Amino acid sequence: MRRLVYIVREAWANMRANRTTTIVAILTTAFTLACVGIFLLLYVNLRNAAGWLQEDVKIMVYLEDSVQAARRQALEKELKSDRMVFGVLFVSKEQALGEFRAQFPAETHLLEGLGENPLPASFVVTLAPNYRSPQSMKGWAERVQTMEGVAKVDYNQEWINVLAELIGYIELAAIGVGLLLSAASVTIIGNTIRLALSTRREEIEILRSVGATRTFIRIPYFLEGAVLGAFGSALSLGILKVGFELFRQQMQSAGRFSGIESLLSFFPFSLCIALVMAGMGLGLAGSVVSLLRVGEGRA
Amino acid sequence: MDAIIQVIHVSKWYDRRAALSDVTIEIEKGDFVLLMGPSGAGKSTLLRMLIGEEQPDEGQVFVHGKNVTKLKQSEIPYLRRKIGSVSQDFRLLSKKSVFDNVALPLVVQGVSEKDIRRKVTEALRAVGVDHKKDQSPNSLSAGEQQRVCIARAIVNGPVVLLADEPTGNLDPERTGEIIELFKLINARGTTVIVATHDPHVMKQINRRAVTLVQGVLMEEGRLAERVGV
Repeated sequence: MRRLVYIVREAWANMRANRTTTIVAILTTAFTLACVGIFLLLYVNLRNAAGWLQEDVKIMVYLEDSVQAARRQALEKELKSDRMVFGVLFVSKEQALGEFRAQFPAETHLLEGLGENPLPASFVVTLAPNYRSPQSMKGWAERVQTMEGVAKVDYNQEWINVLAELIGYIELAAIGVGLLLSAASVTIIGNTIRLALSTRREEIEILRSVGATRTFIRIPYFLEGAVLGAFGSALSLGILKVGFELFRQQMQSAGRFSGIESLLSFFPFSLCIALVMAGMGLGLAGSVVSLLRVGEGRA
Repeated sequence: MDAIIQVIHVSKWYDRRAALSDVTIEIEKGDFVLLMGPSGAGKSTLLRMLIGEEQPDEGQVFVHGKNVTKLKQSEIPYLRRKIGSVSQDFRLLSKKSVFDNVALPLVVQGVSEKDIRRKVTEALRAVGVDHKKDQSPNSLSAGEQQRVCIARAIVNGPVVLLADEPTGNLDPERTGEIIELFKLINARGTTVIVATHDPHVMKQINRRAVTLVQGVLMEEGRLAERVGV
């Protein structure tokens, strides 16, 4: 028990003895990790957005004008029984015209000039969640395209692919920036530990002379690194949360993007915990690096 | 009698200068040995070898049945727990109380709180500074600081006590007190080795004496025989 108290007290004493360095290390780590966090936040939100958009993708199966009611019903039955299909909604020519008028009231005169309703009847198809990948959609669309009575199969996947590509780039950037800035955090914490080691060299010598093992001597420094990393990481989450809320308020007040702000989300609690743990890991790595480089003297 | 320390044909060089040259000594359990010689004679080097802080370039060192020259780094702390060390500069932690300084060897071994309290109190009482246990070492006199240092060295009942110039910072009166303490510790069964070049120490101890000059073991014998006591 006293050994544990000693270790914790030593780690705390180290941090107090080098107060300024400790605070600087926590702040620098916090801002460094906040930079990584910005990319991570962007990545998380874009992935969420991509997920919602992917779920919302509807495939339009336009029918030939000449298709008979019996064939249309057979086609609908066939689509509904397809295991890849989640939902099918029939839109008649009249309904399509009604929807067009409702959505584009200023443009209705364009259709009036044509006399007959030019809009085709269609099935609006939603694929089952397991088949919403770009490859599955493409394969399904190509198959349906060959069915009798089908004029055209249309789905707008292109811009979702662009978004997926963008997410891929952000993911790469987050990894790159994350690695770079994590290395910076490790170095900063490592330097703090090295300073603590040099200021307490005499104490380390005494501990060695009375039979302390390397592990016993090192644990307070590991603990100090882990605490610095965890505090730095927690502070970075605080900074990010404040920045995130300010950004969301800004979006709300700008009006132009109304609605989007409600879709934005901060890291879930589990991810916050994981990030604090990651910070702790970085701090620990800083301690290990510095103890390996400087050593606490030969046993 | 059992030999608790065996130094066999040990040599050590620093930049081609011999710190120890073919030194062989055997020390029995319960002995009190004075290791004498001028500064730079190799006394501290020899003591450092006994606790595994230095390795000889040639020869072997055995302490309490262990070949120190063959010990792994991870085994050295366990050897040091059997050896108490006292140095000239006391090496006390000023930010810790006298009690906490003395408790340190027990803390690193994970001794229970109750035993720590008992053993530290006993050690402080044995050296006569138990009434100063809550003070900072900085508030004590040099003699008292050395007593605290000795209490720390004996608190876990070592088989050997090594003292490197323990009276170097003390006046003759305090030196006498510290020597008496070592005699008392030795009388309780601990092997004591005191390295010194202090003539006051030499005068007060009529025990086995070993002299080193420029790393060479010059003579062995009872000091009293040589000074005609």
